[in-house]
Amino acid sequence: MSHGEQDPAIYWSTPPIPSVEVMQLTHVTKRFGPVTAVDDLSLTLSPGQTVALLGPNGAGKSTAIGVLLGLIPPDAGTATIFGLSPERAVRAGRVGAMPQEGGLIPRVTVRELVAFVAGTYPDPLPVPEILATAQITELAGRRLDKLSGGQAQRVRFAVAVAGDPDLLVLDEPTAALDVEARREFWDSMRGFAARGTTILFSTHYLEEADENADRIVVVNQGRVIADGSGADIKKTVALTTVTVTSPPGVALPELPGVTSVEVRGDRVHLRSVDSDATVLALAAAGAVRDLEVTPANLEDAFLRLVRS
Amino acid sequence: MIGYLRLELMRVLRDATFLMFGIGLPVVMYLLFSNLGLAPGDRHDAGLFVMVSMAAYGGLGAALNNGAGLAEDRTRGWLRQLRLTPMTPGAVVAAKAVTGVVVVVPAVVAVLAAGRVINGVELGFGQWAALVGLLWVGTLPFALLGLGNGYLMSGQAAGLATVVCSMGLSVVGGLWFPASLFPSWLAAIARWTPTANYADLSWHVAFGAAPTLRSVAVLTGWLALFGLYARFAYRRGARKV
Repeated sequence: MSHGEQDPAIYWSTPPIPSVEVMQLTHVTKRFGPVTAVDDLSLTLSPGQTVALLGPNGAGKSTAIGVLLGLIPPDAGTATIFGLSPERAVRAGRVGAMPQEGGLIPRVTVRELVAFVAGTYPDPLPVPEILATAQITELAGRRLDKLSGGQAQRVRFAVAVAGDPDLLVLDEPTAALDVEARREFWDSMRGFAARGTTILFSTHYLEEADENADRIVVVNQGRVIADGSGADIKKTVALTTVTVTSPPGVALPELPGVTSVEVRGDRVHLRSVDSDATVLALAAAGAVRDLEVTPANLEDAFLRLVRS
Repeated sequence: MIGYLRLELMRVLRDATFLMFGIGLPVVMYLLFSNLGLAPGDRHDAGLFVMVSMAAYGGLGAALNNGAGLAEDRTRGWLRQLRLTPMTPGAVVAAKAVTGVVVVVPAVVAVLAAGRVINGVELGFGQWAALVGLLWVGTLPFALLGLGNGYLMSGQAAGLATVVCSMGLSVVGGLWFPASLFPSWLAAIARWTPTANYADLSWHVAFGAAPTLRSVAVLTGWLALFGLYARFAYRRGARKV
């Protein structure tokens, strides 16, 4: 009974909703020797979502994706895609994936590779459309061993989308790219996301997660530590900074909402979970001098989450 | 699987290293040995002997090389990418094996064609056909040895193993220098090598005799042994994808 934790009254008053989750990791644990890469991790994706798996290097993102794709057997827990085992979902052509690296072989052209991969799927996209989506039409005749890093990455993306999968999984797709190549890559990805395909990608770049995903799942040390929209994540750790010129005789740490106080020169930086209340309290104390309120940025939120 | 077979064959046919060393080198060595009179015996017999030896060397080299290519495929993440397509692992192995069987043909035929066209070797049609057939089928044990190396080793090690196996087994098997020139202890070893027995099937045919049962039996033994090796390597190596 998957709805077991729900209030029974609510559960029984509405008819059970048929299971629609695209993929599900249930209490997955994976250890490599003494290291627990993935620690009792559960994650469910709904159709049409673009979800970022965000975490620092070594957080367990790649291992979790490996388990999800059936490449890594978990020590405990299960992975399913459209209710099937990962292997069967892959065999059925419902999954397209871009592992962190590799997959390009020498002496084969871009078009030959893409056409071959598309041919292994039951219902692939037409090759010209795949090339256009990945923005590699002009590279079609190029050998795979003669591509720049950014070009290679877009070709690998083309391979992942070739079969018109229902679930697209990208493991750190931009990790090795420069800023320009990253931007081009995400342009391609957004073009594909517009089709309504469910997408899961991992990254350790916050802006990428914030700009390209509807939902961010923050992972650290193999566990999910936050899950929500970019705005939700910011709210969770509410790091708005209120800065004023050092007011004498005010007990700053005791003001409402303040969680930490930092003095730099004659300026005082107050971190607050409720900046409105903090500012009002400062005003009441007559301490509003050169007031600045800086909203939380995701980078801070992320670092804070990961360190806590 | 047909698509994958086509892709694999395309990769082999565009591999300049393979074309040069896998197909070209045996032809060049054959022409050198046969025309410079480096082989013992009279010119006709020696030429025939060397033609079969070098065709065998080319065939087994091609078979070994193909299997070892799996190591490079794994290092490059290609096997993992294939696992993420709807192709089954069985189809991947089957296509790789069929590729190995196919690429042996040009390596063997190139040397025999050089014999016929450049050196004017005259044999009956049946003999030519039997030579191609035996030199082809006889590479099976080497194809399995190559697959085993490919699954077990890293890309570089497998490449080295290919060279060591093809050269080492060819020399000890008497393909480069006839075993009749060997000291007796080495000649005794040569009689049990897969290479000597593989070439021996065709040496007999080239000189108008039927292959010996002993060669067939010894080669079959190696087939079984290398088959077990390939199976062991597959079970260990497949996990590393």
